[in-house]
Amino acid sequence: MKLRTMKLGPVIFLLLLWSGSSWADGRHYQLEVDGLACPFCAYGIEKQLSKLEGVERLEVDISKGQVLIRMTDGASLNKTDAEQAVKKAGFTLRTFAPVVKEQNSDGGP
Amino acid sequence: MWRAALLAITATAVQAAPVTFNTALPVAEGEFINRELLVLMRSGNDPSGLGRDMDTNVLVSVLGYGVNEKLALFGTLPYIDKELELRMNGMPVRRSNDDFGDLTLFGRYTFFQQDAPGRTFRIAGFAGTKAPTSDDDKSDKLGRLPPPLQVGTGAWDGFGGVVATWQTLDYELDGQIAYRNNGEGSDFEGKTFEAGDEWRLDGSLQYRLWPASLTRPDIPGFLYGVLEVNLVYKDRNKLQGQDDANSGGATLFLAPGLQYVTRRWIAEAVVQLPVTQNLHGTALENDYVVQAGFRWNF
Repeated sequence: MKLRTMKLGPVIFLLLLWSGSSWADGRHYQLEVDGLACPFCAYGIEKQLSKLEGVERLEVDISKGQVLIRMTDGASLNKTDAEQAVKKAGFTLRTFAPVVKEQNSDGGP
Repeated sequence: MWRAALLAITATAVQAAPVTFNTALPVAEGEFINRELLVLMRSGNDPSGLGRDMDTNVLVSVLGYGVNEKLALFGTLPYIDKELELRMNGMPVRRSNDDFGDLTLFGRYTFFQQDAPGRTFRIAGFAGTKAPTSDDDKSDKLGRLPPPLQVGTGAWDGFGGVVATWQTLDYELDGQIAYRNNGEGSDFEGKTFEAGDEWRLDGSLQYRLWPASLTRPDIPGFLYGVLEVNLVYKDRNKLQGQDDANSGGATLFLAPGLQYVTRRWIAEAVVQLPVTQNLHGTALENDYVVQAGFRWNF
């Protein structure tokens, strides 16, 4: 019994470590976009940013001119790619910042 | 005057924008926008004494594509249904025609853009051509239909202009100046017909009626009240190079309406009312024009 527990110990530790690290995966970024002033224009931004590798989900808040992006586990986004995508949509990227988010139970941002 | 309305139709915006003319708002790179617009034109104020009453119904299909963030290309194809009632020798006469009209292609390039939080100011130029793809020589039992009843013109026409847009979260202002050069079409009764060239000056105000405030992040759409102004001047038509004294002139339209804008689609309607008409000779005057339709992006 003692030997079985000793073998299971590292496995249990690794499982705990993996479950804990999943809270830190799925990086989030907040973009502030200038020029965005109507809902129909927001679709272009969604379409361009969704094409970027690793983008899992995004939300556009037109009233604040903000885009919140959640990446897939292990993926990251750089400012140059984000700026280019916003430009292709016809707008101007003002700020780009990673966001530290607590993961909700539904996995949303 | 139906050709002036068609000028608006063939250079028509597809984005969240004025209903009766263009906008400088962007089409994202690789994005498509489709617009379907129903235009109902009624003209029954006839100074000639012939009792002319003309109804023109047009369903305009527009497809726009964003080549990049500055350049967008558009194609428009109308389906036109025309009916003219008048009295000839005291007898009522009805003549009609319906078919696809001429294809129009044009491009729009944004050459000035200034973005700020929640607002943008842009200026774009546009230019294009209408190709003689439709029939312009249809006949009925009374013979060849006159040019105003044909769905095609038989001519290559060119047009261009400049549009400026100032948009905030609460309202939008658009202004446009445009010119159309109509080419020489096919013969009518042995004479070549050329529609008069056209100038137009347009303005639009769209004001957000709902929601009153933007405190919720999950707003489904914006409802705008719309008020547009269209000043259209048309040269006299030419028959075999000679001016038709009973054609052309200037009309000022006022167009109130509504527009509901979401992320993926737009529904809208305006009524163009002629505030003043100063037409040459016995040219048929407009009663009103209704424009209603939807747009969607993909």
